[in-house]
Amino acid sequence: MITVDNLTHFFDGEPALDGVSLTIEDGEWVLLAGPNGSGKTTLVRHFNALFEPDSGEVTVDGTPAGDDPVAARTSVGMVFQSPRDQFVAATVGADVAFGPENLGLDHDEIDRRVEAALAAVQMAGREDERIDSLSGGEQARVAIAGALAMEPDHLVLDEPFAGLDWPAQRSVLRQLDDRYAEGMSIVVVTHDVRDLLSRADSVVGLRDGSVVFDLPPEQARDRLSEIDVRTPGDSSD
Amino acid sequence: MLTYTPGSTVVHRLDPRTKLCFQFGFAVAAFATPTVLRLAGLFVVGIASLSLSGLAIREALRAYWFVLLVLLLGPLIAAITLGSPWLRLDPAIESLRSVARIVPILFVSAAYIHATPVRDTRAAIQQTIPGRPGQLLGVGVALTFRYIPVLRDDLRQIRDAVSARGGDTRSMQDRTGRIATLILARALSHSDRLSVALQTRCFAWNPTLPRLEFARRDYLVLGATVLLAATVFVPL
Repeated sequence: MITVDNLTHFFDGEPALDGVSLTIEDGEWVLLAGPNGSGKTTLVRHFNALFEPDSGEVTVDGTPAGDDPVAARTSVGMVFQSPRDQFVAATVGADVAFGPENLGLDHDEIDRRVEAALAAVQMAGREDERIDSLSGGEQARVAIAGALAMEPDHLVLDEPFAGLDWPAQRSVLRQLDDRYAEGMSIVVVTHDVRDLLSRADSVVGLRDGSVVFDLPPEQARDRLSEIDVRTPGDSSD
Repeated sequence: MLTYTPGSTVVHRLDPRTKLCFQFGFAVAAFATPTVLRLAGLFVVGIASLSLSGLAIREALRAYWFVLLVLLLGPLIAAITLGSPWLRLDPAIESLRSVARIVPILFVSAAYIHATPVRDTRAAIQQTIPGRPGQLLGVGVALTFRYIPVLRDDLRQIRDAVSARGGDTRSMQDRTGRIATLILARALSHSDRLSVALQTRCFAWNPTLPRLEFARRDYLVLGATVLLAATVFVPL
């Protein structure tokens, strides 16, 4: 479980997060929705101790994230908006192995995790392929595999559909559905809830660094206009 | 551009320590007296390295075109005199002999880059140089190889963006300054994001590195490397 208690974070004296509190239960699918600059990305970076709170506390499975960053980063897998920024190796297998290698696992365990993570995203047997030769959708799946290889309890995805065409989005959604079915909690940061609302257990609306609402999707649907996100049925007008 | 390409050639299968050692031995041989015979031999070995790694010679030449261009300037500048006769052949040939040594070294390095995963290079460095110096060098090399293709992509995008809006009509000085500023800004931005990605995935200075094992072929290449380096003492 991830709990955020009265979290405040400042950038250059300006509050990026202002007294945010929320709970993400194990096995829950949560949408963190809000417009650009609402504090979504800043919030999730506290989940695995990439940021330190100015006040308040974030705990992951009962332990303050900052007390044991490695445990927090192992428990909370993070997939960034641009997979290109996440890759640290040239080939699929080497990149997915990067996290487990850092944990100091033995070679057999690393191989097992890489194999399992790639199988989970339907990329089995493609360890030797160059990442830059993959399509955008495949790169997004490799990025998810890189997070899965850490065997996290929670998977956080920051704008995972940015720049992906619909088939690629569908492919990523399928991976998330599968992980959710396995009991992993899924946190998706987004400003476009169109294909996600029906999947979520709860929707957290953020605006100007504050939680506007934290509701089940059927109740959140009526309040999405308060946070200026793209919703089902929205046109460009 | 040159990057690691998965494959199963004999060069791919060599231990990275063997490949690094071969490069060193080859460089020693190359920097010995540059007689024509020795140079010819080095070119043969360099081209053979490319061939054995599965990399076409034209690919290597294309990757290093700028370096080769700079190397060619050496003999040209050496040939020019400030007065009559304006051009002299002997210094140009001497300079050409010197710079020609670099070309086969580039071939061997191209074969190495093409056939060696970056993390194997990191493992080879960290196993060869113990302690923090090896870790720093290994991580530095790994990040450099990770970064170069990203920065090249950025450079291409920036140049395209400048051209797309008629930037080609501006002076060279204006374009150069603009591109240099943008590429620096992007490099810093990439390094920020990469740093976050490394933290997220529990970056460690001393992770579990790939298994490295010497096989029979490695001993053969190491033997050949010693012989190659020993040719320095043989008058050719």
